[in-house]
This record gives sequence, C-alpha cells and structure tokens, in this order.
Amino acid sequence: MGLKRAVAGRKAAASGGNSSKYEIVTPGEVITDDPQWMRGHGTYVAPATTSIISSVAGTVTRTNKLLSVRPLRARYTPEVGDLVVGRIVEVQAKRWRVDVGSTQLASLPLSAINLPGGILRKRTETDELQIRTFFAEGDLLVAEVQQLFADGGAVLHTRSLKYGKLRNGVFVAVSGMGGGGGVVRSRRQVWTLESANGGGPVDIVLGVNGYVWISKHVETPEGLVDKTSGITNIEESVSATMYSSQNDRIGPETMREIGRIRGVVTALVDNGLRVDEDMVMRGYHEAVEMAMASGEGPEDIYLGGERGEHLAAALTAV
Amino acid sequence: MASTQHVLLSPAELAYLHAALSLTPPIRPDGRAPAQFRPLIAETGILPGTNGSARICFADGTEAIVGVKAEVERTRLADGATAGTEWEEGGSARGEGEDDDGGDKAGDSDWVGLTVEIPGYRDDDAGTAFLGAMLSEALLADGAFARRLWINRRFHWKLYLDILLISPPLSYPLPLLSLTTHLALLATRLPLLKSEGDEDPFFDDDWAAARHLYPRGSGSSRTTKESARPPVTLLVMAVGNNIIFDPAKEELAVADVALAVSVAEDTAVATSTAATMDLDDAAVPAARSLRLLSIRTIDPPSRLTPPGVPNAANSAYGATTAQNQPEARTAEAEAVEGVWRAPRGGAKPLVMAALVQKVLEKGGVADEVLDALDAVDLG
Repeated sequence: MGLKRAVAGRKAAASGGNSSKYEIVTPGEVITDDPQWMRGHGTYVAPATTSIISSVAGTVTRTNKLLSVRPLRARYTPEVGDLVVGRIVEVQAKRWRVDVGSTQLASLPLSAINLPGGILRKRTETDELQIRTFFAEGDLLVAEVQQLFADGGAVLHTRSLKYGKLRNGVFVAVSGMGGGGGVVRSRRQVWTLESANGGGPVDIVLGVNGYVWISKHVETPEGLVDKTSGITNIEESVSATMYSSQNDRIGPETMREIGRIRGVVTALVDNGLRVDEDMVMRGYHEAVEMAMASGEGPEDIYLGGERGEHLAAALTAV
Repeated sequence: MASTQHVLLSPAELAYLHAALSLTPPIRPDGRAPAQFRPLIAETGILPGTNGSARICFADGTEAIVGVKAEVERTRLADGATAGTEWEEGGSARGEGEDDDGGDKAGDSDWVGLTVEIPGYRDDDAGTAFLGAMLSEALLADGAFARRLWINRRFHWKLYLDILLISPPLSYPLPLLSLTTHLALLATRLPLLKSEGDEDPFFDDDWAAARHLYPRGSGSSRTTKESARPPVTLLVMAVGNNIIFDPAKEELAVADVALAVSVAEDTAVATSTAATMDLDDAAVPAARSLRLLSIRTIDPPSRLTPPGVPNAANSAYGATTAQNQPEARTAEAEAVEGVWRAPRGGAKPLVMAALVQKVLEKGGVADEVLDALDAVDLG
C-alpha cells in the first residue's frame, strides 16, 4: 500500500497546476546550500555546513524563507484536541491501548471514559475487573486526544456523548497523509449526510488519523426530552447504548449507500485527493449521478479502478 | 489451517459485514459484484535473469513477483529404464504427427521446485507451507505439467518457481500468487533443443528461438495434447447462500466457508481421439471447457473471532445483569439479530455444489479470469 500511495502522491504532485513549485526529494538529498534559507520540518542541516538536507521523501514547500519537506507518506502525529477513530489492541489493568495509526499505541485510561448510565464516581476494582465489558480487543471507538507525552504518545478520552464505541457501520483506513491525499484537519470531522436512494441519514466520522467510520445515523432519543425534560436522563439513555456491540436493524438501501460512501473515500485516497467533508459530499453526489447514468442504475456502487479515476477527474475538473 | 494472521475487527463490524454480505444480492464493502475481481496491474518479463517472470499488483496494494528458472538435470533411471523406445523426434517437434506417448514421457513431480515467500513469515511457517503445497498441487495435479519438462530419456528440465509476495499480506494472498505464477509460467521459455534422441542435450544459443513452455495462439506451435494454460487457483467464499469471489480481508473475516478451487482448461476433449484433435484445438478459444483439479477448504479467520455480546446480556448496557453469568452464557449461544456469532460447523453440501458450479460454468469466473490474463502481453 505504501508504495502505491507514494506513487499516487507523486502523480498528484507532478500533475499539479504549478509544477515548478513541486519538487520531490529523497532522504539525504541536498535541497539547498544557500545560507539564506531556514530549515523546517523534514529537513536537517549537516554539522559544519550550511546545506539543508531532506530527512524524508516528500515535496519541498517554501514558506517565505522557511524550507520544509512534506512527507509523501507519514504516520499520524497526534495533537491535543484531535478527533480520532481508534481500535483497541490491548486491554491492561487500568487502561486500554488503542491503535490510532501513530508510531505508538495511544492509551485510554479507565478513568477517561463515561460510565454507563452517566454515573459520576471513582473507578473501583469492580470496574477494573469488568474492563472488557466497556471495550474489548478489536472494538472501534471515536475519541479525542487529551494529552501528549514527550515521546509523541497520546492519551485519549471519551468523556462526551459524541465519543464512544462504534457500531452500525463500516471502517476504512486511509492512512497516509501528505502528497495531497488522506484526511486533513478541517472544521468538521463528523457530520450526518442525507443519503440518496432512500438510504436515510448516514453518519461519517473522519478521524484526523486517517481512520474513517461510516455508519447508519442513530437518532438520539428526542422523545425522552419531552417526557422527562431532564438533561441527565438523555445522558443516561444515550450512554446506555454506549458500550453496546449489537447492531440495529439496517435496511439494504442504507447498507448500499454506506458502501457507496466507502467507495468514494477510497477512490479519493487512491487518486491522491484530500478527504474532507466538502470532497466527500461532492464525491458522493457525483457517485450517485454516475450510478444513475450507468447501465445498472442506483444499485451499482462499485467505484474501484477506472470508475474511481472518473470520479476523481470529475471532482478536480469543477 | 488458519488462512491469515488474526484479523482484528470489532463484533459490531463483523455483524454488519455479515449482514451486508448475506443480502441478495450481497453488498460487498468495496462495492464489487459477487463474482468481480479486484482490478489489477500485470506485467511479464520483469526479471531478465529468469526463463520467465511476472508481476501482479492488486488495487489494494498487494503485489507479488514470480520468477521461473530452469536447469538441465540428469533423470534418475529407475527400474523402468528400458520402457518407451519409440521416441522418434527431437523436442522441438512436439506438435503434429506425434503419437500419444504419454506413458513414455512421464514426468516426475520432483522436477518442479516451488518456494513461497511471504514477508514477515518464516518459510517453514504452516501458512506459507500450505500456500506452497496448494500451488504446486494445482500445477502438478493434471499430470501433464511435468511431462513438458521431459527432454529425453536421460535428461529433463528442473524448474524452480520462486514466488514472492513483496507487500505485506493485507489479504489472503492465494489468488494473487496463483495468478502471478500462471502468468510467469505462460511467459516461461526454454531454449530450443538441437540434439536428437538420447544424446546429451545441446541447445540453440539463440534466445529468440526459445520455445514457450506453454505455446500460445491457435497457430503453428500450439500443442494439443496438454492443457494450453497453467492452472489457476481461485479463492471462493460463501456467506449464507451467497457465493463471493476474490474476498478481501474483511470479507474473509466473516466467511462461513472458504475454498481454494484450482481449475485448468480441459485436456480430455483434446486427447480423446486423434482424428478430432485439430477440430477441438480450433474450438478451444471459442468455448473453453474447464476441468476441476483440486478443492481445498481454508479455515476462515471468522472462526477465531470473538462473539458480540447482545444488549440483553451486556452488563455495561444499563448496568443491569452483572451477576448472573450463567444466563449471560446461554444468551450468547442463541442468535440475536445484529450480534456477531462466529460460524460453526462445516459447509452445506448445496452451497459447496453451487460454489463449484459457479467456478466451472460457461462464462463463469474462471473463464473471465483466463480471458483477462490472455490480454496480458507476454513480451
């Protein structure tokens, strides 16, 4: 995958509008020996020289007098406040280790999750013994980076009703930033899309780490607000389903549209385009149009190979 | 035999995938039709030092290269050393006018050495060994392959197939390795034999004159007696009553049954009678008849996945039933909609039959794959 992404990125860079601006360098390549430049990310200055050397393979970017290299492909570097999608890979006594596509596993302490029912209390030994009833190995969750260690390791928390275990949908990893592709930090990482062909609302979570979750939108129980008119009760009922691993009933139309959105995301990445709300929405509408125009009608959700290229071409042409 | 490294998917994901793949028609996560393969890039002749080589790159980024190398080896003369005296012509004229001397030109499975290398795995790893065994089994199953390596009664070609996966095994690499091996064998050429009879073999220096191991085209050099193409091994899986080809990793993770089916173009028709041989030969490109060589069941990773916990038994769901563990156990054993349960038991006979039927039928998947590989330029 790595090589392919790299090539895709290279292609995107080469075909970019201002081709002289893009310059691919490899690790160890001297970018300049002019002392007027300052070195930025992805570069270093060899001792006793003035030449700036690239430390990664990527494209050179010049900001005023700052030289930096954007890597073609890099692992996710966590930052405080990032919304990430992660997968539990290890369960320890008081915390989980979560794969977020970074160089290290992130950790999610038992004290950083909401207890079911919205109860606020100290975590006891009973909770520690039942740690797998909250999250077990393989479970997917959406969380926020709360804190960073000096070595780049992240500590996550799910202390909000927006966060927690993921169900009712599909996962797709589009790791690999730089080179124009992948998920970029943007205004909104989570939104609900009203899908075409009777698919109903679909939630999309674009983790900043490049992990994407597409699922059926589950209504927060609105009726409950009227009945009991208490914010704590909403919290209770929402967090009751927070650690559920049972899917709701999902209609075939919804599944088809979820599959189409997944196809759009992979097509965007394969063609070196950025993945954000705007591109996914435009890509999705384009994909729906393409399916309508094709022979098989809206049932046809395949967006691999050449179709993905057509989709990308249509998106970049506008 | 576990088919892949442990796939880590959450029970909710597994339940969703299983539900989507059980629909009619199934909705695959990447939107493919049930019998559709992943798009691939293929090329041959990438390794100048080999007799034949190929590279295939799937759209998911997995990539394999295969190199075929041949060397002349002295045939061990066993007890049957005197058998088969009617060898008339040099190896170069294996085409028309040759008698059916299948017994004479018997090959030996030792003449093919096959190694598989998967990055991150030892080459004596059970999975790697199983892959290698499956590929060589398919190759040697028709019995005709080793015969192609026959030079004369004292010498034969020894063929080394080096199969390398050069990307991490993102999905079960069997179809990829099989297709790449197929292409490499199609591209394999052996030097033209100049010596005659049982002399020490002496070959033409001119590489341009070298013969293909599998002569192509219905024209002059096509041999008629053996299958014109190396076998292909296809990975097929079933979820419920749906049959799905070329599963990706996530799909295989929810498979009820996974099978590796090896097929080759039929040879029985061509060898049946000498008189209709030419006719059959001409008919092959139009309507290819396929022959089943082997079926191997593959243990899908779905069997090792943890089951989902239904809400009724989930102590974190409303924090109600934490104590009564025995009840929770029984609740898990029953199927609840939306909760993942690892498949248990074997394949249904009807599904198995349908699966094989789907592979072999006219215009079916095997046909399509062979047609697609036909389009690759052999250089």
